[in-house]
Amino acid sequence: MSDMGFHIESLRYRYPGADTPIFEDLNFSIAAGEFIALVGGSGVGKSTVLRNVAGLIAPSGGRVRAPVRRREARPTAFVFQDTRLLPWRRIRANVRYGLTGLGLTRADKRERVDEVMDLTAIADLADRWPHEISGGQAQRANLARALAVRPRLLLMDEPFSAVDALTRSRLQEELLGIWRRLNMAVLFVTHDIREAVYLAQRVQVIRGTPARIVFDETVPGAGTTVRSDPELQSFTERVAGAL
Amino acid sequence: MRALGAVKRPLLGILGLLLFIALWKTAYLFNWAPRGTIPDPFAILAALKLELANHRLLPAIGQSLIHYVWGLGVGTVLGFAVGLLAATSRLFDQVHYLLARVLRPIPPLAWVVFAIAWFQVSHAGAAFVISIGVFWVNYFATAAGVRDVDPRYYELARAFGNGGFLRRALTVTLPGAMPSILSGMRTGVGQAWMTLIAAELLGVPGMGQEMNAAAGVGAYGAVVVYMLAISVIYSISDGLFSTVERYALRWRP
Repeated sequence: MSDMGFHIESLRYRYPGADTPIFEDLNFSIAAGEFIALVGGSGVGKSTVLRNVAGLIAPSGGRVRAPVRRREARPTAFVFQDTRLLPWRRIRANVRYGLTGLGLTRADKRERVDEVMDLTAIADLADRWPHEISGGQAQRANLARALAVRPRLLLMDEPFSAVDALTRSRLQEELLGIWRRLNMAVLFVTHDIREAVYLAQRVQVIRGTPARIVFDETVPGAGTTVRSDPELQSFTERVAGAL
Repeated sequence: MRALGAVKRPLLGILGLLLFIALWKTAYLFNWAPRGTIPDPFAILAALKLELANHRLLPAIGQSLIHYVWGLGVGTVLGFAVGLLAATSRLFDQVHYLLARVLRPIPPLAWVVFAIAWFQVSHAGAAFVISIGVFWVNYFATAAGVRDVDPRYYELARAFGNGGFLRRALTVTLPGAMPSILSGMRTGVGQAWMTLIAAELLGVPGMGQEMNAAAGVGAYGAVVVYMLAISVIYSISDGLFSTVERYALRWRP
């Protein structure tokens, strides 16, 4: 059976002109369907790791091994922190944005867009322009656009950091529901330890200059729906200690 | 209260027009300029009828529109294309920026001498002069618009399989630069009229030439008729363009 996971091997990245790499010697695997949270302070290179994994920038060293590409899908999809909806496309057209070049018929595309818009509860926003929707709705559209390409690995870059606490909590619940239903792998970058522990099955902490992974552990009792679970509280403190 | 405000503006606008006509009439009556060079504002309608009856006004408008459309079209297309190239090709930008700096300050009308030498007194010559002014307006608007597109959208395009030149241009560059491009085109529509009349004063058939001929025989009322015709045509073209612009940019808040 072929390996459906992603393998990050000795990954290193140095920004052009910088003396030292922002991170180096990153080694970890993301199994099919696994949810990993990558936690770290500001400027430590968390988003840069995601961009390397997505292939948006070439690593300075090491490599990212991805599984064989499926038909009519992309290996990875990016959920941006700033939503990055194209202001000149209606919400539906934004959600459809990644479907070009996948060999889908017009009907296939329509079906897929309908499906993810239902899943993310934005079906009634299809004809709106991005400036006509709220921050939470924009994040749902951002997620829907990524889900539409049926990625094996969803790369999420602090997607809920700009929304209010209530919306964030609701979006976290919805994300967990969608992840359980679609069984895709998620690499979720955040600086919020509680968010990481609550959402992920495994938490990694990245720290230092150049940054390295200094903590990588499975969350005890992952999948609990009780945020105040004592085991989670204790794990959260250990992650904070590593940070 | 709001309804009153909505009515107040046009009423004040009409009042301003009436005050201007009163001032004009006073200037006419008291000869504020050399006698006969200020026409009676109340005689403009008669002058319009005369120009229509003599079959001068409409053919002159038609003649002007020929080189207007050609000059505007050529200047817009070339300005857009070169501006796009300047913003997207570093090599082209480096090769042409000094040349652009030398040529840009030269007013379009300075090219009239060459227009006559190369195209004689013809529609092509007038279109050439018009196109120069329109070219620069569109060139700068397009180059600035393309350069100002948020680079984060290019990353988005790459992340979702739209990073190829054509897909990127169609889904990010052009729509992102569209506000600036359309603003340049609209300025070009106005700029073309200004250059057009000046080019026609040198003899190319059209409204400018008719104005020159009318002024030569002291028919300043007819001159005003042509001036107002330009104003009406410009307002119509600007209004149409503004409608197109509003539709194309309906995504903006």
